[in-house]
Order: sequence, then C-alpha cells, then structure tokens
Amino acid sequence: MNKIVNTSNITGLEDASYLLSRYEITEKDISNIKKYGKIIVKRLDEYVVHFYEWMKNQPEYTEFFSNDKMLISVQNRQIEYWQEFFAGEINNDYFEQRRLVGETHARINLSLDSYLAGANKSMTILMEDLYDNSLSAKAYAEAVASASKLVNLDSSIIVSTFAELTNRTIAEQSETLMKMSTPVAAIWQGILLLPVVGIIDSKRAQDIMNAMLIKIAETQSKVIILDISGVGMVDTAVANHLIKITKATKLMGCECTISGLSPAIAQTIVELGIDVDSIATTANLKDALESAFSSTGITIKASP
Amino acid sequence: MKTNELRFHIASEFDVKLAVLQAGKFASAIDSNETVVQKIMTTVSELAQNIVKYAGVGHIHVRKICRSDIVVIEIIAEDTGPGIRNIELAMGDNFSSGGTLGLGLPGVKRLMDEFHIESNAKDGTSVTAVKWIHDK
Ligand SMILES: Nc1ncnc2c1ncn2[C@@H]1O[C@H](COP(=O)(O)OP(=O)(O)OP(=O)(O)O)[C@@H](O)[C@H]1O
Ligand SMILES: [Mg+2]
Repeated sequence: MNKIVNTSNITGLEDASYLLSRYEITEKDISNIKKYGKIIVKRLDEYVVHFYEWMKNQPEYTEFFSNDKMLISVQNRQIEYWQEFFAGEINNDYFEQRRLVGETHARINLSLDSYLAGANKSMTILMEDLYDNSLSAKAYAEAVASASKLVNLDSSIIVSTFAELTNRTIAEQSETLMKMSTPVAAIWQGILLLPVVGIIDSKRAQDIMNAMLIKIAETQSKVIILDISGVGMVDTAVANHLIKITKATKLMGCECTISGLSPAIAQTIVELGIDVDSIATTANLKDALESAFSSTGITIKASP
Repeated sequence: MKTNELRFHIASEFDVKLAVLQAGKFASAIDSNETVVQKIMTTVSELAQNIVKYAGVGHIHVRKICRSDIVVIEIIAEDTGPGIRNIELAMGDNFSSGGTLGLGLPGVKRLMDEFHIESNAKDGTSVTAVKWIHDK
C-alpha cells in the first residue's frame, strides 16, 4: 500500500489499476457511474449554467473568468471533463487529462481550494440538483457513492500535479534569487555598489565577499558601497561578516562603506557590543555616495 | 488562526533562518516597534545558532505571555548538548570557543529585559530571554 505514485509519469497500465484499487473503485462502481452518466451527460449544458451562477459569486471569478473567450473555453473543457468522467473509461488518457487540469490550475495560479470547492459544487449540481429521480433509491445511492470515489481519485491526481509544479516553480524562483543576490554594479568610475536584500547567512556572506573582491580586482575600484537597507536582521555573525568584508576590501586598496543602517539595526549592533570602529557606515545610500565621490575626487555640480 | 506560541526544531542553518523570520512576524503582530522586532529576531538568531554550533540539535520556543502588569515575549532555547563548562566565562564579552566574536550570549542579555541561563554537562543548555512589551 505504500507504493509512491508519481502522477507526472503514469505510463504503464499497472499504474491505472493501482490507483483504481487504492481508491477502491471496482467494476461495479464503473458500471454505476456509466449508468448515471446516461441520465446526466445530456444535461451537461444545464450543469454549466448552474455552475457559473454559483461561480459568479466566488472571489476568484472576476480575476479568472471575466474574459468571455476564456470563459467559453473553460466551459467546454469542463463539459469534456464530465463526459470523460461518466464514460467510465479509466485509462492513461483519463489520468493525463486530470493531470492537465492540475497543471492548468498551477500555471494560472488558481488555488487548489478553488478547484476543490468547484469539484464539490459540481458534484452537488450533477448528483442532486439535476437528478431526475429515474433510478431506484438503492441504485441512486450506489451511483452517488461510486461517483464520489472517482472524484476523490481525480482530486488526488490534480492535487499532486499541482503540488509538484508549485514546488518546482518555488525551486526555480529561489535559484534565480540566489543568482541575483550578489549583483555588484559599477555605478561610477571607481565606485561599486552592492545592495543586499534578505537574510545574510554564512554562505551568503561568503558569496557577497567573493563577488565584491572579484569585481574590485576587475574594475580597480577605490570605493565599494554595501547597502544593507534590505537586510532584515543583523546579529553577531552578520556583523562579524561585515567586519571581515571591510577588512578584505581594504587589503585590496578599496574602502568599503556600509549604508542603509536602520535605527533599529544600529541600536541592536551597539547593544550586542560589536566594535564598529573598523567599519565605515552611513544611514543611507545618498550619504555613502557623497563620501564616495569626495574620496575619489569627483565633484558633482549642477549645470549652470 | 491566531496562535500565541511558536516552536521550532533547530538543527541547521536553514532552521535558524526560518525561526528568525517567523519570530519576526510573530513579534511584529504583537508590537510594531521595529527595534523590538529586531531585538527578538536577533535573539532568536543568536540562541539558535549556538544550538547548531555547539549542541547540534535543540528547540526554540517563542511565546507571548500576559502578566498581571505587562505583556512580554519570552524566548526559550533548549538543547541536550554538552553544556557550557564555565557559564561566567561564556557570559563575558568576547569569549568564544568557536572562533567568532563571542558576543552572542552577553549581547542577548543586553538586548533583552530578563535573561536566565542554565547549563550543565548532564542536561545540556537552557536559555530564557524575555522582552517587555510596554503596550497594553
Ligand atoms: N547551546 C550551547 N551549548 C554548549 N555551549 C554553548 C552553547 N551556547 C554557547 N555555548 C558556549 O558559550 C560560548 C559563548 O557563546 P556566545 O554565543 O556568547 O559566543 P559564540 O557563539 O562563540 O560567538 P558569537 O555568538 O559571537 O558568534 C560559546 O563559544 C560556546 O563555548
Ligand atoms: Mg553565539
């Protein structure tokens, strides 16, 4: 029972039968679903009307469905979805379609909650609101039970596809952020600037130091400004890194100014007892730039 | 859901980062004063890093406590590591067995309003640090 199902990779038929048995969907269930399908599939147009009456009052409606063209295409896909559902052909194509639904939701950032709420509402419309009372009470109860099992199976595929894609996106984003995290820029002849955002841990501090030293060697800069106004927290380790960075740049003939110290961070550094004599700091970037200009002999004048 | 307590398992630098960010959020919901929030985050960071560096594994609790006269934020750091041999020395400025500044523990004591440390080789180390929140 603890086999791991990778829904992005359903190729073999054994996966289909595995999922069916995991959700306890039997031949009898499939035939119950097909039987009910004979009643409901011809009324799927009505289903769509009911569904969007409900949808109009949901918070995500205006964001995702206000465009008519988009709405029609979504509605058509929804009809196909339920046609497949009631056709009861549970094979790899069927799973692939469910996977696509999860993918689409993840791509357009429509939450899982809105999928699940929608699936729930659809079941109410299809199994209750549009039911024509043509089955015996027992047959109807069985159809409802069988259909809920299959909806659960559908949801499990959609949820895991969604989660997998979301995780992948997060991993990609953090990769990009890491790459962007040390953008040392030459902002003027002889002056470098590195804005740091986020939390500085020792790996990050090492990256920052490396990036700074390489760029100093490359550009022969005399001043580097490390702006920490986007840094959320300073502690003894961060302060220690800042001191080390300052010392290392000095060895390369480049003065380092740390700018953007908030009052809260300044006070915290002092109370921690850190000896700040060896580092040059300014409250903001403007002051850091002015002192950089004056120490590199640049004077800025307004044109007459 | 509103909770008045956070609990973190600390075993890596990533855990430290997560605890710091969450504790910062927690503190800013209680007091919007940036300096208070900063001090809470720094305290969590120092104590959590000591756990990773010197004990390997431990826990951090952050809670809001309403005392009769004052609301406080309490931070407890606990581990069952090797303990601190000489607490007095460790509490002094610039003592470090790890080659860093040696300002973590004495710094936290200065940042916070109450500070208590217990440590021995048998039970490990437990640090309690409390910040008074003057609102309410
Ligand atoms: N949880 C702990 N378990 C065992 N020993 C500890 C623990 N916390 C601190 N110590 C000991 O106390 C010393 C002082 O701790 P403190 O946090 O003040 O400085 P540090 O961690 O060495 O340096 P810094 O915090 O400035 O980077 C440490 O060097 C270590 O020997
Ligand atoms: Mg420390």
